[in-house]
Amino acid sequence: MDTQKQTKRLLDAVLFREIWKAMKVTFKHMLHRPMTFQYPREKRTIPDAHRGALGLLRYDNGQERCVGCDLCEAACPSRCIKVISEEDKSLPLQRYASEFYIDITKCVFCGYCVEACPVNALAMTKMYEYSTHDKRTLLFDKERLYDIGEQHLEDAKKYLYAHNQEQNDEESRAYRYHFPQPIGKTEASDS
Amino acid sequence: MALKPVTSPDTEAATIALNIDGETITAKEGVSLYDVISSMGKIVPAMCYHYTFDPFGSCGMCLVLQEGKKSPVRSCTAKATEGMVIRTDGEDLFAARKKAVEKHLSVHPLDCPVCDADGHCELQDMAFEHQVTDLANAKQKNIPEDTRSLVLDFNMNRCIACGECINICKDVQRIDALQFMKKGGFTQVVAKGDHALDCEFCGDCLAVCPVGAITNKFSKYVYKPWQLRKTTTTCNYCGDGCQMYVETKDTEVVRVTSPLSWKNKWGDRGDTINGHSGLCVRGRFGFQFIDSQDRLKEPLIRKETGLVPTPWIEALDTTAERLAQVKRQYGSEAIAGLITARCTNEELYVFQRFMRTVLGTNNLDSSARYGHMNFVRAVHHALGINRMMNTSADITRAKAILVVGANVTETNPVASLRVKAAICTYQASAIVVDSMQTNLAKLASHPAMVKPGTEGTFVKGLVKSVLEQDLIDPDLASQDPQALAALKAAAHAVSLETVAGETGVQVEMIQEAARVFAEAPRSVIVCGEGILRQQDGYDHTLSLIDLAWVTGKLNKPGCGINTFAEEGNEQGAVDMGVAPEFLPGPAPYGHATARQQFSEAWDATLPDAQAGKSLVEILEDCRTGKIKALYVVGENPLGTLPKSFGVEEALSQLELLICQDPFMTETAQHAHVVFPACTFAEKDGTVTNQEGMVQFVRPALDPLGESALDWHIMVGLANGMGHALPYETTQDIQTEIRKLLPGYYNLGQPRPVAADPTAYLRNGYAESVGARYGSRGRTQESGRPYGLKLIQLIYHSGKLSTKASGLMDISPNTGTLRMSLEECERLGLAEGGRVRLTSDAGSLELGVQADVNMLPGTCAFPEHFNEPPVKDLVRVVVDPVTRVPYFKSTQVTIEKI
Amino acid sequence: MAHLEDQRETIYKVDPAHPETEDLPILRTEELLLNMGPQHPATHGVLKVILDLEGERITKSTVVMGFLHRGVEKLAEHGTYHQFIPHTDRLDYVCAMYNNFAYCRAVEKLMNVTVPERAEYLRTIVAEIQRIIGHLFWLGTQALDIGAMTVFFYTFRDREILLDWFDELCGARLTTSWYRIGGVERDFTASLETKIRDFLAYFPPKIDEYVVFLEKNRIWLARTVGVAVISAEDALGYGLSGPTLRGSGVDYDLRKYESYGAYPKCEFSVPVGKNGDTYDRYWIRIEEMRESIKIVRQCMDQMPKEGPVMADVPSVTLPPKDRVFTNLESMIQQFKLFSQGFDAPPGEIYCGTEAHKGELGFYIVSTGGGNPYRLKIRSPSFIHMGAFDFMAKGYMIADAVTIFGSYDIVMGECDR
Repeated sequence: MDTQKQTKRLLDAVLFREIWKAMKVTFKHMLHRPMTFQYPREKRTIPDAHRGALGLLRYDNGQERCVGCDLCEAACPSRCIKVISEEDKSLPLQRYASEFYIDITKCVFCGYCVEACPVNALAMTKMYEYSTHDKRTLLFDKERLYDIGEQHLEDAKKYLYAHNQEQNDEESRAYRYHFPQPIGKTEASDS
Repeated sequence: MALKPVTSPDTEAATIALNIDGETITAKEGVSLYDVISSMGKIVPAMCYHYTFDPFGSCGMCLVLQEGKKSPVRSCTAKATEGMVIRTDGEDLFAARKKAVEKHLSVHPLDCPVCDADGHCELQDMAFEHQVTDLANAKQKNIPEDTRSLVLDFNMNRCIACGECINICKDVQRIDALQFMKKGGFTQVVAKGDHALDCEFCGDCLAVCPVGAITNKFSKYVYKPWQLRKTTTTCNYCGDGCQMYVETKDTEVVRVTSPLSWKNKWGDRGDTINGHSGLCVRGRFGFQFIDSQDRLKEPLIRKETGLVPTPWIEALDTTAERLAQVKRQYGSEAIAGLITARCTNEELYVFQRFMRTVLGTNNLDSSARYGHMNFVRAVHHALGINRMMNTSADITRAKAILVVGANVTETNPVASLRVKAAICTYQASAIVVDSMQTNLAKLASHPAMVKPGTEGTFVKGLVKSVLEQDLIDPDLASQDPQALAALKAAAHAVSLETVAGETGVQVEMIQEAARVFAEAPRSVIVCGEGILRQQDGYDHTLSLIDLAWVTGKLNKPGCGINTFAEEGNEQGAVDMGVAPEFLPGPAPYGHATARQQFSEAWDATLPDAQAGKSLVEILEDCRTGKIKALYVVGENPLGTLPKSFGVEEALSQLELLICQDPFMTETAQHAHVVFPACTFAEKDGTVTNQEGMVQFVRPALDPLGESALDWHIMVGLANGMGHALPYETTQDIQTEIRKLLPGYYNLGQPRPVAADPTAYLRNGYAESVGARYGSRGRTQESGRPYGLKLIQLIYHSGKLSTKASGLMDISPNTGTLRMSLEECERLGLAEGGRVRLTSDAGSLELGVQADVNMLPGTCAFPEHFNEPPVKDLVRVVVDPVTRVPYFKSTQVTIEKI
Repeated sequence: MAHLEDQRETIYKVDPAHPETEDLPILRTEELLLNMGPQHPATHGVLKVILDLEGERITKSTVVMGFLHRGVEKLAEHGTYHQFIPHTDRLDYVCAMYNNFAYCRAVEKLMNVTVPERAEYLRTIVAEIQRIIGHLFWLGTQALDIGAMTVFFYTFRDREILLDWFDELCGARLTTSWYRIGGVERDFTASLETKIRDFLAYFPPKIDEYVVFLEKNRIWLARTVGVAVISAEDALGYGLSGPTLRGSGVDYDLRKYESYGAYPKCEFSVPVGKNGDTYDRYWIRIEEMRESIKIVRQCMDQMPKEGPVMADVPSVTLPPKDRVFTNLESMIQQFKLFSQGFDAPPGEIYCGTEAHKGELGFYIVSTGGGNPYRLKIRSPSFIHMGAFDFMAKGYMIADAVTIFGSYDIVMGECDR
């Protein structure tokens, strides 16, 4: 018994058996398909919940969802959002974000802004390829954010559904923010 | 109303003991139970309560359980009584309070995203604190937002009907501009009569609104409270020295808020004698000038093509060199300096040191010269003090208030609340002497509407009446018999009938006023621009001192003579010695010990003890060419003084005019060098308010553009001239002031002053008093029938406020003359129209506007506006003693065209 | 030239005891000071160690840390409790989930929030998967550091499966921020559950594969057996925890002792080593992966099929989004929680959690209000590095890499 064990150990040592065992595993993998992607040509399928670049959304009728409440700015752990809100000159008493900046170089993609937004104006998309030679272009302004929202509308909506921010397309229509009505200008001029 | 402050100066309420949450506590009988609970440090939630007014009891949150009662009681409206046993906490009370919150929430709109109050909202706090979730039957009101007012928007969907706005307007401001009205099925807050709100716009309703029902138009929708950086600083508009919060976002000022707020609601009603910590329209809504587009952003130097932007280093260098050259060529006497009293104490101090030691001249003056100096010189001369005698608490507690020529509700709105509280809450008698129907006159028990410019005569009448009715302080006969005799002799020249004839007030009224003033246990005098800025202001102030002295109101506690300062730091300008007659302290300039102390501290020889020219003399000497260089810091004599005074001519004679200002003023346009200065919101330092409190000014913003702090520029110039001033920070200057004027800062508390007229009464009083009462008062001018007054508006302060777009929105320059309704009708101008206004100095045409506050025989134009140039109709009269230029009133004829 | 001569003089000198060797230059012996890192590839980030060498033996080592210091603890003081969760992702950046978990547990303890049952199971499953990821990462890199490259490819292949699974779960592979105070951000979907079950079947044979590569490999044995030995007593003295401590034979596992999450409802054993060397720690980690699989499997079976994944405490937890749109109270809750945070009671709290490296603890001092007054992170990497000098003494310079590798150190957590 003991001798048998010792003989085995000796043989193992002499024959480098553990190496052969390991080589067996390695060679077996030669028959596998490669696990890697050839990135620019092949791309991963990205799950719906993926937290990519942020975009701003509009309602179906084209109205901007964002009312400039600045809650995303408050929620952001990396302080990368800056909202400048004011009264919409064309629609009295309606608040909107006249400027909206996300410093994407500072963004940590935590998705808190989306979670915070009380009108679901922000959503994350599957967009991740926006590297650039000019760092200044990484300060996304309102126009760029709406562009992203428009180009990746489907992804953005899927993101919202996946993260329980909106129920579905049908019900999301009910989630519209209604502004307080201004007193009629006519009434003002009457009195 | 029994819940008014129960302890007034005259009656003391009984002390009672009651048991709250197992603790025995003593309180005054009759105070609100809520106040007693909060005085223990226990906070019972309440949304409609604020200590500045009587409990209203609408929110139903402040429930407590009283032993022996089944259901909870509202602690705010309940009065504390002996032996009460109270419980303030518990599940049942929490549930009851939660129900009360739910009631408010169930009709509240889902407005948080767009509401300006979000994050600073009591309803939010209460809902969150009481963990309200899933309300059944929530419904929304749909009331349109009232945006008719110029300043405030009323969104009544958000209103919780707490009534705080209405109560503060009624009980504290005494304006009573708001009311509840049932409209569209809901109780709403509307302006009285449901018109567009048109009030003083103090904005206290905005401050106390616990929700976002009242919002501010100037910062509507541009912020959320959590984005703002709050800086506590002191308001710069008038001498009240209100504390305020300048709230900034990056580099812009978003809004100004007051310590008065729904967040700051606990206190004793009696505390309001020191002020209610609110603001006025100027402080709250006049902030836009701070980051205005018109601000100067870089130094300018006059070249052939005009004023050219120049780098600081070059500008300072050139200026210092040219100053040095003027000094070399013409001597120090050829240089003079003017500074505005809106600067901080430290800047004023550095200015006078710079002028006196670096330039070696005593030709320096501040804008306190326009009027405040009359008061300071008079009380300095007669009583040995340098500022007003009473605190705001004294004024609130007074039993009789004599307000002479002081439209304080317009010039010093917040301080005027103390007078209003004295009249309305503490039932003081008020004698208001003015040539206009001022707000105080409407509240006063004894309004005395005098003809324009005869306020001083009325005061003499009062003195005479006191003597006649023998209301003299009994101690006087033994203390200063000679002075009393001299006064009596002098008063022979005055007859009450003449006074009545000149002023238009009946003799009985004068007698009555004198009696009220003399017999009250605590009488205070408040005088203002109607005395100090009118001809013979110095003499009239001395007459007021006579009045106070002869009735024994000089040294009794709670009595005294006061003035309210018009510009932010007029008192500081005097204290820092920015006047040819004063050294810091203020010590008289000729005082040998003081001169030695300062020359040692500054390691320099001071200019001659007799040297020194004041504002008027400086400008005259500029004209005659004796002064070659003028350094103007924030002042604007060209925009302030009438054309006939020849300021423009004087300035054009100068070889070097240096202007240092945040804005391009009329004077700066003539300057050879213009330095961009900072506004108070960028400065660090202190200001002294009229009461003598030294208050901090803290920087809310970095200096705009390349503008620099005033004292930085002065130190830069001094360095350029080879006399380095040893200051690197504001603290360095403060340390020096502390060393030289021990106790000046006094932890921000006013140092008590003791008036001592003895020396004054025993030295030459007899000689001067005769001349004073013997003079015929004002000289009648050319028989022109109307008195024209340049008045101050509540919405403006000097010329500075005209740079604040908010205030210009509220009160634009209408360019119209204000006249009484009767006069308008008499002239056929009831519908408006244009008139030709002619005085001895000239004439001009302008529109007319009826003003209910004007009296027949007077007309007025706001002094803040130079368009049309009504100020040029006035001739400057200079006071023979104090050299104060008087140019606020004249006689005119009015013709309709 | 003369200068060079002088130098020679100092280096070669004659030994006075042996004048006969006068013509033979002898080498002067002295200690060598060697800076290892901060750019050394095996330092797992930017660790610098100053080694005093006697020949190739380490006589003293001074650890220089802080190259990756970002002031995370200070950042915590300036945001709400909720806002700090993404910052915890960046502590041990290869195992973000566990940091989230430890932090959320600490805040829940402070706020006295009970997590719903289903959420507890979800948290446990994800935490164990994160443990597997952590151990896979360690195994691959440790083997790589020592010189066995192959294992690295296989462990990373399997780690990749799990990271993709994370991506599907929460939207990010590494910076997860999935845990929330009072629950988790998002429930598993059906496809995620299937994927987990597939993985449970797939993974155990893979562990055997790794073992084949290393267990008997003589180089591996030579580099790990008897290297960095620390006795149980010393290990406790240095405050070691996790596999590093258990390798020395101390049976200390917070999952057993503190019994948080769904651990008390699962059966699993805690592998304990005997010799306290690097090999034992390797063995423990392999065994722990097997145990983790067991735990995940039990959780998947026991987990309630439905139920909330967030506690419903209006003063602490966020309301569901659909309520925010329709309900004022929830809207207020949303705004208050995001702009001011919840009002924590004043007090101090310490909460340790068994991460795959050891005890990850959060110590929170609250003075009331929305932000912590002070937050201290007891990170295992930092504590373990304290024992480095003690453990490295007497070993060869090449073993230094093995030793700090055996702690499984990540500098993001170490420097914070």
